[in-house]
Amino acid sequence: MTPELEQTLALLSSHRSVLGYMLLSRGHPVSIIRHTGGVFDGEHGKKYAGVIARIVETVQSGLEEINGSENEGDDVKFLRIRTKRHELMISPDGRYLLAVLHEPS
Amino acid sequence: MSSTAERRQQIEAKRAKLAELRKARADRQKSDSDRKSSETSAGSFTPKNNDVDDLLSSILRESRGPGATAGNGYLDSGELTPSSSMPGTPSMGTSLLPSSLSGRASRNSDFASSIGTTLAPSINSATDNVMAREMVPRFLPDLIDIEQELFELPTKKERVIYNKEVQTMEIEVETPNHEAETLQRGVSEVDIEALQAARDRELEEESVQLDKEIEEEIREIPPEELASILAAPELLEFVDSTTKMFYRAIHDYDPTRDYRVGTEAGSDESEGRVKRVCEFFDERYTKNRSITDVDWSPQYPELSVASYNKNAAALNEPDGIVAVWNLHLLERPEFVFHSQSDVLSVTFSPFHSNLVFGGTYSGQILLWDNRSKHLPVLKTPLSASGHTHPVYSMQMVGTQNAHNLITSSTDGTVCSWLVDMLAQPQETQELIHAGHNKTGEVAITIMDFPDNETTAFWVGTEEGNVYQANRYDRAGAKAGLNQYDVYKAHAGPVMGLHFHPTSGSVDFSDLFLTSSVDWTVKLWRAKSLAKPSTTPHVISPLYSFDESDDPVYDVKWHPTHPAVFGAVDGSGKFDLWNLNMDTEVPVVQTGVGTGRALNKLQWDKKDGRRAAIGGSDGKLYIYDIGDMAIPRESEWSDLQKTVSGMVSGGAQTNGLVDGDVRSIAGR
Repeated sequence: MTPELEQTLALLSSHRSVLGYMLLSRGHPVSIIRHTGGVFDGEHGKKYAGVIARIVETVQSGLEEINGSENEGDDVKFLRIRTKRHELMISPDGRYLLAVLHEPS
Repeated sequence: MSSTAERRQQIEAKRAKLAELRKARADRQKSDSDRKSSETSAGSFTPKNNDVDDLLSSILRESRGPGATAGNGYLDSGELTPSSSMPGTPSMGTSLLPSSLSGRASRNSDFASSIGTTLAPSINSATDNVMAREMVPRFLPDLIDIEQELFELPTKKERVIYNKEVQTMEIEVETPNHEAETLQRGVSEVDIEALQAARDRELEEESVQLDKEIEEEIREIPPEELASILAAPELLEFVDSTTKMFYRAIHDYDPTRDYRVGTEAGSDESEGRVKRVCEFFDERYTKNRSITDVDWSPQYPELSVASYNKNAAALNEPDGIVAVWNLHLLERPEFVFHSQSDVLSVTFSPFHSNLVFGGTYSGQILLWDNRSKHLPVLKTPLSASGHTHPVYSMQMVGTQNAHNLITSSTDGTVCSWLVDMLAQPQETQELIHAGHNKTGEVAITIMDFPDNETTAFWVGTEEGNVYQANRYDRAGAKAGLNQYDVYKAHAGPVMGLHFHPTSGSVDFSDLFLTSSVDWTVKLWRAKSLAKPSTTPHVISPLYSFDESDDPVYDVKWHPTHPAVFGAVDGSGKFDLWNLNMDTEVPVVQTGVGTGRALNKLQWDKKDGRRAAIGGSDGKLYIYDIGDMAIPRESEWSDLQKTVSGMVSGGAQTNGLVDGDVRSIAGR
């Protein structure tokens, strides 16, 4: 892993309001590349991964449904799910997916 | 993982049962079809739609006992055995609503007749006699028990269904209450089939679901694969861009904020104070460096750029860094550009949102593109045709279609470049002061063009004088330095020079400010270019501001308020002056950072509310001056009065009176 990548991810997880992040690779099935933060550990983390992957799939297929196949179609760029306690920010890409759980102060 | 294995097993078990069930069903169907083929009486196989009332009445009838089957035309041509018994009506109802009612119809296990189908007659037997055509359940009088259940049972639970023909054929998938069944029931075949089908479907769905779940299970990545994934450059790029997005999003306004929930009222938004918005600093890039120049983006008001000099502690890092900062992204710069030598001046290209120019200590001019990576996309050669001395000052002049980059270095060379052709300058000129008593060389530290000028410019020098120069020959003036008009007042190198921006009703574009190492800021009126002098003479400033006790490193007019300007000095102070309010002391004096010297000041181009201050500690401070940036209507005329007051009040120690100045003041 390149030191730059390490540094960037370490910076992200050390941010004061960030509870953890999860880096997934898309594809069937989704697999976890890396994760930090107690929230994303173990079974719970796997559940999160499944849930997040499904959410992104749903939204993406919804977009495809709306846009049809005439034009390029829209792509999900950024998902921000604000719950009562936290905020989950998901940024999907063609190949990867980065999800960050943080606590908005 | 064990849970998954278990589930797999469960699925397998269910699958087996499902297969069994299907098989049984197939068998049954086969036998059914056999039976049906032998059926003589047609009858309607379709059950009538009975509702609950029918059901109830049927039950009542049932309860009345076998003899109460009044009039239900069970009689048939002869095939049917006369029966006084119960119809299997309820089962009809159930077959229609399989999940709501699994009332067991009475069933007769003693059907000896070969007539298969048991269709329930319609309960509304107004036409009982017509029932001859209908199939009715055939009951033998010696039925033992007839029972009916009204209650719902979940259809998943297996019902024991006995075919009236083959009593002992049992179809069992799940029989939780198998033992509870002690009674024999008769159910119509259609009923059975329908229920069976429903159950089948459900089981299938469940197994499919379980399959999917197993498939979608999150798997662990084996380490070799992991290493290769992590080394991919796309991953780095992806992480870079998404983390930037996250930081920006984190700092955004919280849309779910509820204003009804009160917070501690601590903020005193008192009249237009100067507040610090943020401070840009990055451990990786800007540590141990000083900021040498600052600029704001003309297209994106949240972007600012700062250039940095060498990091003396890390010699293998690039000598010069240029960082583009975003107000919404505090943790790290938007972009970072590298240079091989210290970058001393930087500017956004006003006509291309992607380009950033930088002038370096070596004399090279570099062009970076934020679509490319760290290195410059274009650079000028290190040759005698360009600059060979540090380039402290540069400016873009012209319009969208015809613009040039003018750069000046400390040996007096002024070059003009075309943006896409940095291989050699479009023109070079060396400013020479022929009449100087010591040397002809003009050591330019700072250069500025008035707003609407592209040919005449003013330069500040290391000796403290300010000169005017022309790029080309004009009517009455030659190209090069105007050696006759000397703006002489400073006792040390001129560090800042700025012309008044043209905005507003009155034109003050001949006023300019200079700041110098001699602790002063001076206000001058530029001599008109219409009448060039032919003999050397000295021009004195209109006013001198002596507030500071340290070298004043930069001074800049406010872009929209005519009477406001800011100055930063070597003791970390940011002075905000308003000439209409007071000409002797600044309106607000703010200590910036830790008291280290502040090198550059730049107002943001949009409305001038924010000022970017570059410090020698490598930090870029953004300050907001709030309402003080907003000029009233009268500011311009007020400033006129102030300036004329400065001019005429020449008896003060601050204002220097000069014959020329007075004559100009009358304008």
